[in-house]
Amino acid sequence: MNLMANILINVIIAFLAGSLLLGLHRKIMARVQKRPGPPIVQNLIHSLKFFFKETAIPKTVSKVFYIGIVFILALIWIVGVIVGPVAHDSLLILFGVYAVYKIVEHNSGSSSGSPYGKLSCVRAVLSAATELPLFAAIVFVYLITGTMNIGEIITYQSAHGPLIFTIPLAALMFFMLIITKSPYSPFAITKDKALISGFETEHFGLLRGFMHFSEAIAWYVLLWVFLTIFFGPLNAVGYLIGMIVITFITGFINATTPILSPNHSVMTQITIGAICFFGTILMIFTGVVA
Amino acid sequence: MNSQKTLCIVLLVLSTIAIIACLVINFEAWIVYTVAIFGIPLWVLSLGLLTMAKPLPEDAEERVKEPFTGY
Repeated sequence: MNLMANILINVIIAFLAGSLLLGLHRKIMARVQKRPGPPIVQNLIHSLKFFFKETAIPKTVSKVFYIGIVFILALIWIVGVIVGPVAHDSLLILFGVYAVYKIVEHNSGSSSGSPYGKLSCVRAVLSAATELPLFAAIVFVYLITGTMNIGEIITYQSAHGPLIFTIPLAALMFFMLIITKSPYSPFAITKDKALISGFETEHFGLLRGFMHFSEAIAWYVLLWVFLTIFFGPLNAVGYLIGMIVITFITGFINATTPILSPNHSVMTQITIGAICFFGTILMIFTGVVA
Repeated sequence: MNSQKTLCIVLLVLSTIAIIACLVINFEAWIVYTVAIFGIPLWVLSLGLLTMAKPLPEDAEERVKEPFTGY
């Protein structure tokens, strides 16, 4: 297949699947809280609807930065789709994508001129604690498989079985990142409702729709990477079931957990990360991990 | 026609041509990746800037002066 056609198909699948999964996430949260909740397609409809909504650029914003940062958000997740589902390339590039995402959160808040956005921008620096367990998880995957290449990790798992059984605590660290990035997460300190919508507060209308587009792709890529590097070679049905199950679990957790204060959030993430990190090292040295 | 609209039309046309060229011709991978990484977000953004509704002239000043509205 033509490479550009492959990329376009994957981007469209990522957007549609990501939007529907986020809609499902909201529905699950609502049902757990005994509310009817919006239809599953609502998130997708919202994303498209915002493109036709009235949009004005407030006087207080840094205009180029204000629009440019939304462009960068979409750009990094297109990179995520290319590195993951399209090219099966290096995990390190995906780690870089998450690092840049942190910068986007930071700068999106600061470009708006809003106090809510600026406070969210400060919290984005604190929430970088999420990246440590992610980095540790990637290191353990490298130690076991001897490669950072997603394609080679899939090949390794087809010969030795899924990595979830070899390094479950590393998978748990990665899963914590998924919880952190999911909507209404207990660790979502940058989007705490005390900050309205955090760094997204002043991005409304078209720009909000564009952010929804990117976040739907981000959710899909995140789940795809988790399933691929810990559950081995999967077919389309396997990915679909895996993504729905993870969305269900995160929806249930988020519906029953309040958003933590910034210091509690960071300490919880670091504590879970440290336990999983030393636990995995212990498993390696005691020979539990082959 | 204001400068923003002109710029958006130019960017939309350029990104559309670049994407279609990569669909028709088999360029080297790095060229296709570059076009995809910059072209797809640019296409969506420029299309969105053209399709978005503008405030009514009498409301325009109020909209930009009211910065902390959210959506």
